[in-house]
Amino acid sequence: MFIESRELLMKHKIPVAKTEKYWKGLEEGKVYKTVCKNCGEEYYPPRAECLCGGEVEWAEIDGEGVVEAFTTVHRIPAGFEWHENPYTITIARFGNVRVMGWAENVKVGDKVRLKTGKDETGVWKVYFEVV
Amino acid sequence: MRVGVIGVGCSKFGRRDDVTIQELSYEAVKEALDDAGISRDDVDVSVVGSVNSRGYELMPAVLVNEYCGFTGKGPIRVEAACASGAAAVYTAFTSIASGVADVAIAIGVEKMTEVDTATSLAIGGRAGNYLWEFHQYGTTFPAYYAIHASAHMAKYGTTEEQLAKVAVKAHRNAAKNPKAHFQKEISVEDVLNSRYITYPLKLYDCSPISDGSSAAILASEEKIKEMGIDDVVWIESVGYASDTSNMTRRESFVGLKATVLAKEMAYRRAGIEDPVKEFDIATVHDCFTIAEIMAYEDLGFCRKGEGGRLIESGETDLGGKIPVNTFGGLKAKGHPLAATGVAMVYEIVKQLRGEAGELQVDLKNYKGLLHNVGGTGHFAYVMVLRR
Repeated sequence: MFIESRELLMKHKIPVAKTEKYWKGLEEGKVYKTVCKNCGEEYYPPRAECLCGGEVEWAEIDGEGVVEAFTTVHRIPAGFEWHENPYTITIARFGNVRVMGWAENVKVGDKVRLKTGKDETGVWKVYFEVV
Repeated sequence: MRVGVIGVGCSKFGRRDDVTIQELSYEAVKEALDDAGISRDDVDVSVVGSVNSRGYELMPAVLVNEYCGFTGKGPIRVEAACASGAAAVYTAFTSIASGVADVAIAIGVEKMTEVDTATSLAIGGRAGNYLWEFHQYGTTFPAYYAIHASAHMAKYGTTEEQLAKVAVKAHRNAAKNPKAHFQKEISVEDVLNSRYITYPLKLYDCSPISDGSSAAILASEEKIKEMGIDDVVWIESVGYASDTSNMTRRESFVGLKATVLAKEMAYRRAGIEDPVKEFDIATVHDCFTIAEIMAYEDLGFCRKGEGGRLIESGETDLGGKIPVNTFGGLKAKGHPLAATGVAMVYEIVKQLRGEAGELQVDLKNYKGLLHNVGGTGHFAYVMVLRR
């Protein structure tokens, strides 16, 4: 015998004030990292504070990256039911940073370029195109 | 202060529609108290490990402690994702090693089957960095390990057949473990023919969604002498490490750095030089088949890239040079997150005492290795136990 719990729905308002440049950048087709002016550390995902205490600057990630790993998700999680077909999560390396994005027909070692786009739920993200 | 394990308990893992989280906990606690031959009053502190992100009770430790009779002795709940069990053991261990407590119980418990699979996948996919990964890309927990599998296969030529062999071994052992989630042997073909969950991992490459509980009672050497207990499995050393929440901040995808760091700490503290020769039994974190392959390498059972060949060699089977996951592993025994690490203590203690029945390993050095990972290498614990 079971008792069904009362439903609880949570939707969070996530503050992105410190990384606003990144989220606005996606809408302009740009993908930003941050680079520390003091120690040179590069951050992706970007963060507005370097652990060394130095000031960071925003830099666009551009050019060709190399696919290091990927997976094609067939069993889709709640929140992505709208995506009826499998999607491929890919991690590619661009210089000193690694970037996650969606791609099609990739394999490890492929060269890719970045672009940004909005999915059906209005979320902007990174997509990779095989060169 | 030396710390020893004096009692262990473990519930039946699987779909446990018959019990709530606290009722499930009591099954392991009762067995552990009986096993140690002590009463609840002898316990100074209760540490409850539970991820419980699928649960409706938001403070599970309070209910668990009340139901198990530790009200007043349960000031803490610990969480380190799938390593919450080892984190609970570590917390109990340090409470004794510091001299604050004489006897501590570590309880690991998880009820995972009360929500549907799509919800469960969405929760597991948040076990990393929600904003920068799940929110945009729909990561799942199997997907994080599949990412590693793709890199391992590309770099070392590891095959889906080799991954399948990990699952076959796990099911073969679990078939003889009445407490395991699955009691059915499977073939390589069964694994290869199962549907993709997230390429390259298929259904049978993945641990099931399970309910379960486990408990271990730890005590100081002084207290053990005072109580007249002479059959003790000592915790020789504990190593731990953590890694970045973001997968994109990792240095490589062919292994888990947190495992390597935790291993180095644990081996150094216990003076382990050749794990394959020194350990009679190893429990490694095989939430997915690729995880066991990477663990072989990261724990030093073989060189990096040779994990696939090690499973093929049969040396990690019962009767091999280093039997791994003799009770069926997370893959077939089940993986009720926080229950897993404490269940590893249960398995090693049963093995080192020679109480493992049909699954008994040969005892030469009376040393066992525990390896419990949280998330995708976000946390790692490695422990050396010795009887």
